[in-house]
Amino acid sequence: MSTDKLLLELKAVSKSFGSTNVLAHIDLAVRDGEFITILGPSGSGKTTILRMIGGFESPSSGQILLDGADISPLPINKRPFNTVFQDYALFPHMTVAANVGYGLKVRGTKNAEITDRVSQALALVQLADFAGRYPAQLSGGQRQRVALARAIICRPRLILLDEPLAALDVELRRHMQLFLKDIQREIKTTFLFVTHDQEEAIAMADRICVMNAGHIQQLGSAHEVYYRPANEFVARFFGDNNLIEGRLQETVDGIRWIETPLGRLACAIDGQAGVAAASLGARAFAAFRPESLSLTPTGHASENATRGCITALSFAGAHTLANVAVDAAEPLSLRLRLPSRVEGVAVTPGMIVDLYWRAVECRLVLV
Amino acid sequence: MTRDSRGNWFLAGFTLLVFILLYGPIFVPIASSFFALKQGVVNWQQPTTLAYVTLASNEGILVALRNTMIVGVSAVVCSLILGMASALYFNSGRSKGRALLQFIIFLPFLMPPIITGLALLIYFREIDFDRSLVTVIIGHTVFVLALVYRTLLVRLQSLSRSLVEASYDLGASGFQTFRYVLLPNLTSAMIGAGVLAFALSFDETMITLLVTGTDNTLPTRLWAMMRLGFTPDINALVAVILALTTLMCLLAARYLMPRESTGT
Repeated sequence: MSTDKLLLELKAVSKSFGSTNVLAHIDLAVRDGEFITILGPSGSGKTTILRMIGGFESPSSGQILLDGADISPLPINKRPFNTVFQDYALFPHMTVAANVGYGLKVRGTKNAEITDRVSQALALVQLADFAGRYPAQLSGGQRQRVALARAIICRPRLILLDEPLAALDVELRRHMQLFLKDIQREIKTTFLFVTHDQEEAIAMADRICVMNAGHIQQLGSAHEVYYRPANEFVARFFGDNNLIEGRLQETVDGIRWIETPLGRLACAIDGQAGVAAASLGARAFAAFRPESLSLTPTGHASENATRGCITALSFAGAHTLANVAVDAAEPLSLRLRLPSRVEGVAVTPGMIVDLYWRAVECRLVLV
Repeated sequence: MTRDSRGNWFLAGFTLLVFILLYGPIFVPIASSFFALKQGVVNWQQPTTLAYVTLASNEGILVALRNTMIVGVSAVVCSLILGMASALYFNSGRSKGRALLQFIIFLPFLMPPIITGLALLIYFREIDFDRSLVTVIIGHTVFVLALVYRTLLVRLQSLSRSLVEASYDLGASGFQTFRYVLLPNLTSAMIGAGVLAFALSFDETMITLLVTGTDNTLPTRLWAMMRLGFTPDINALVAVILALTTLMCLLAARYLMPRESTGT
């Protein structure tokens, strides 16, 4: 599990390729032993962060500190980090065992020790019987695990994973997510995982760093990022969400009110100092998840309510998603997510429904 | 396929005709080398291997063959070393200098060989460098380098960049990365390029004529024999050279063909 001890720190790191600024003043601290995920759409600069830590690129400005010491002068092969590449980068002319043992061999480790540690590493990734195969003879998931074994065998301080699951099919990806998380717990090594897939980030990460356009949008646990998005980008990027724009009003008993086309909405502000401090009349969004909407009163002291007409329904297995047109000052559409029912749905298109949601599930996002 | 079969027959016939007209003459000396020759006329009634016997005892030709081998092997070794170094350098980044280097390497291959030969000749005379087999080796290296360089570079560029990155990432030095990761993946390209370069060097006449001293290579020897008259040896020699060149091209094709998929 992660401790509060810092392993790696990025301080005001910027990177530009020619006149294109890829990263601007990134500050990021990686804790020793944590599983941290950098999540962002393509072009957000997430892979560039990983490549700068690995030493494949150098920052245009700023510092990268390992245990408090600047590692900029260290070349790739002197950094105590190992990488799992997106295309795995297995050496095609070497057997699985030779691939995994490569890092030890180039360091001049004795053959007997290499053999021992290679079989340990292969056992860890459940590929003990594949030592003599070549990468071309393996499936995608197996190559993935060889790449992982090759990266952990040198006992690095940090393992960098560059979208390693992107090429796998959905089923295998889910399996590998759990597998990676298990391995990470077992070897107690810090993992820095880059992905564009939010579900993947939620499934694995202790902390998620959401990136967009070269800036960190939010850094926090999956829960924080999901339920307390720091800004509109995170609120929209991370799962399905309802965002209603309005103007901030007063705070009463930990509830801040906002005037919106839906009327006055009550929003909880615990853990969001910035929202509490924002001035009266400032523009903000009330953000609430489709699954937090209920068709019956919640019985909670502070809840919001509105009325609308179901315009569309889509069955999605365990859940049914609905669009609700709300007759507000301006036309608004809300997303509603209800548990599916065997004998039919609780709502049908054209039905007028009342929607209720608790203040604690209604969050403010400053514009 | 529902193509007009008459059209296909026409195409096949036309292709055959082109083949006979263009490639037929190559086989005439080979065929005639196995028959007796009287006053420049082939006697098709009299098969013989006499031409090959004469060839085997021709001291001048044997020396020329040895020279050709020395020059060919040396040019292959030199061009492989230079080509490898240049390809590795070119592939290591992007700059105007690299583009210029590549242009210069390609130049002698694109220029008429007589220009390359003359330039070298004038250069060697200016610096008082005696003409010998060494100057021939230099000339051939300059000529075949483009081919070797290009072949190695293409293979190098087809390798995923992350292979090299992975090697460094795992702690390997630059030399270890070359030795354990790049070289094994370039071996077949090196063999293919080497064989092609040798075949080019084997046939090379123009540069050799200009920069050689008193030494003869096989093609220049052949040239000299032609001027003295049409002897049976020449037919036999043409057959031998053709056989060797064909063999080497087959070898080159064998190693330059993309290997069956080894995955990624």
